[in-house]
Amino acid sequence: MRQSDCIAMILAGGQGSRLGALTRTLAKPAVPFGGKYRIIDFALSNCANSGITTVGVLTQYQPLELNTYIGSGLPWDMDRLNGGAFILPPYVKGKSGEWYKGTANAIYQNKQFLDQFDARRILILSGDHIYKMDYRDMLRRHEETGAVLTIAVIDVPLSEAPRYGILSADRNGRIFAFEEKPEHPASTLASMGIYIFDRDVLMRYLEADENDPGSTNDFGHDVIPAMLADGCPIFAYTFSGYWKDVGTIQSLWAANMDLISGALDLNDDSWRIYSRHVDLPPQTLAPTASLRSSAVTEGCSVAGTVENSVLFSGVTVEEGAVVRDSIVLPMTVVRRGAVVDRAVISHDAEIGENVTVGCGDPNVPLPPDPLCTDGLTLIADGVTLRGNVRIGRGVTVTRSVETWAEGEEELLQRAARRPKGEDAL
Amino acid sequence: MNDTLGIIMTGFGDEALGELTRVRARAALPVCGRYRLIDFILSNMVNSGIINVGVPTTSHYRSLMDHLGSGKEWDLSRKLYGLFILPPYLIPGAGLGNSGDIDILNGILDYLERSKQRYVLLSGCDAVYNTDFYALRAFHEASGADITVLTTDSEAYLSSPDRVQFDVGPDGRAADVMLGVNTFSSRRSSMGVYFLEKELLCRCIARCVSRGRHDFVRDVLLHSTDELRVFTFPFQGHVGLIDSLPAYYRESMRLLDPAVYARVFDRRTPIYTKVKDQIPTIYGPRACVKNSIIADGCRIDGTVENSILFRGARIAESAVVTDSIVMQNSRIGEEVTIDCTILDKNVSVTEGKLLAGQSSYPVVIGKNASV
Repeated sequence: MRQSDCIAMILAGGQGSRLGALTRTLAKPAVPFGGKYRIIDFALSNCANSGITTVGVLTQYQPLELNTYIGSGLPWDMDRLNGGAFILPPYVKGKSGEWYKGTANAIYQNKQFLDQFDARRILILSGDHIYKMDYRDMLRRHEETGAVLTIAVIDVPLSEAPRYGILSADRNGRIFAFEEKPEHPASTLASMGIYIFDRDVLMRYLEADENDPGSTNDFGHDVIPAMLADGCPIFAYTFSGYWKDVGTIQSLWAANMDLISGALDLNDDSWRIYSRHVDLPPQTLAPTASLRSSAVTEGCSVAGTVENSVLFSGVTVEEGAVVRDSIVLPMTVVRRGAVVDRAVISHDAEIGENVTVGCGDPNVPLPPDPLCTDGLTLIADGVTLRGNVRIGRGVTVTRSVETWAEGEEELLQRAARRPKGEDAL
Repeated sequence: MNDTLGIIMTGFGDEALGELTRVRARAALPVCGRYRLIDFILSNMVNSGIINVGVPTTSHYRSLMDHLGSGKEWDLSRKLYGLFILPPYLIPGAGLGNSGDIDILNGILDYLERSKQRYVLLSGCDAVYNTDFYALRAFHEASGADITVLTTDSEAYLSSPDRVQFDVGPDGRAADVMLGVNTFSSRRSSMGVYFLEKELLCRCIARCVSRGRHDFVRDVLLHSTDELRVFTFPFQGHVGLIDSLPAYYRESMRLLDPAVYARVFDRRTPIYTKVKDQIPTIYGPRACVKNSIIADGCRIDGTVENSILFRGARIAESAVVTDSIVMQNSRIGEEVTIDCTILDKNVSVTEGKLLAGQSSYPVVIGKNASV
């Protein structure tokens, strides 16, 4: 493959609103994952390992952290003389200029960037999935079938199919129907949001889509249905392997747990996942430490008990503290005697001495909640909890709680607070 | 300190480390889970704002070159200056002979002359410590010194056979200097780090070469106190001298002390190293790990105590590792017990083996060995 044969465009502008307080200061692709990664490392490393070294990263929501993180692209070996990693925010053009209106519009607004590299094929990726994939295989399939568009698909359980864009394909893999989030799915082939387009065809349809005032400028809703209606050859590329959309707190937590169980195997020399590295010394375990079924990384210091948990860079767990079934993001401190149970604790937080996070009877069902399904408790970045505070299961805490009056404990039980119509403290 | 040129001498005194330096220069010796010995002095220089560092090499330096690469991990991959690995300059037909550090420096005169820096920070590569050199440099200027030597009162240095000790007046000026004896009450032993003007260094080199002399300490420093203003500057922090195999083991184990660890890995002045993109370490359901330093990429199912595991080490469920150092990608099988042992890289210890040394003299298993 010549270097400019295929370039990748990573859609990284999403807010990830279902990740709640985790994305209040950063875009979803920049959310930390698996101890030392960010979610976007997977798309970037897959590109690097597939030999695709010209990558545009389309940012929009809270781009600062993501821009700093990607920088020159050096950690992914994308600081190149020709090509490399490019951050592509929306910008003003003449008298016009607007935000990215949808996925298709975001690509359309970067027409000039695509023209500049003059690639025949455009690989479109989303920056918020956890998976390892060799895009060269998909490119080969694209060439073999003579498709103008190839969509990567994965077989999902029928019960989950309504959450995805569902495709129907004939036995040669040619797609004849596409439905976004169907109530009654016609198949179980879900689109992974990974597309390879022939650039000339893509540009033609993006142009047409742009001129259609009724369009929502989205690949799934507008562009792909239009191409299908015109009878364009669109083929499916079936992927089997680990793939997870970490769009909710629950799925983010579960994907982290997969790292411990081995369901997600990243210890693969032929397919490294690269990340921008902070220079931290190796982890230290005190004589009082106890760690089981956990993943722990550089800069951590553990003197307490850690079970079935993922500790990110620079996390401290003091003597007598217990962290169980939880993920603790970078630089957070869990002080003496604190207990953290089934929780997601964001970065730079402090769980003070004897504070309990995630208390309550796990057998009592909680009311449904758009963010913290499955009873997980979420502590936002920079939050400090002190003074015997007890945070109930399924609660989101977005501000520090340091003083604590008698009898206030119930306020932190989500079930009890529900009638007031507040989800977050 | 971008007016200072850093020179890190490598390849001298490596024999004392035996098996560990058979395959590599001491500068490339793996230390503390994820570092090589050179990372400490190199990071100290970078954290002092030095942007031009030369690393002359003598022999078996492939491992060192592989580690340093372009220098980008130390922020020394620069258009202007940066990191320069300087392999020995061999004149066709002539071997290295019985050359000393002066000959190596003479071989890099081109590089010294081409560099525009006014000062040189000349150092060996034999210790684990974390500092910056701003205070040393300020002292050098304020005292009007010709050469300022970094010194320590650490016992390991005071009792080392190669110790260089100074008789120091109250202002820090050395009245006398001696090698291998403890005659002076000052308790100032050289750390082998010298700050001086580049021009003076070049003069010293030229003088030694013209008289057939080879050694900076013996032929320059020991005779310098009459002619030159030699000052000493005491380093107060923790320094671990690695000049023998027992010293390597002892200094590694001292890092298990949280107070020592905190000084060596002071967050304000990070120690940089080559990035390996390892995954986090995974602890299995029956792991039992206490009082240890663990790098990333390990898989630990067994028992580990008072030990240091390097990147990618694997410990099976029924294995017991105590008071040991396990280097990169070594594997400890089921029912294995190892105690006071150093396993070099890629060592494999298969089922049921017992390896035990003494803390005063640990067992060493060489690189790539299978036991």
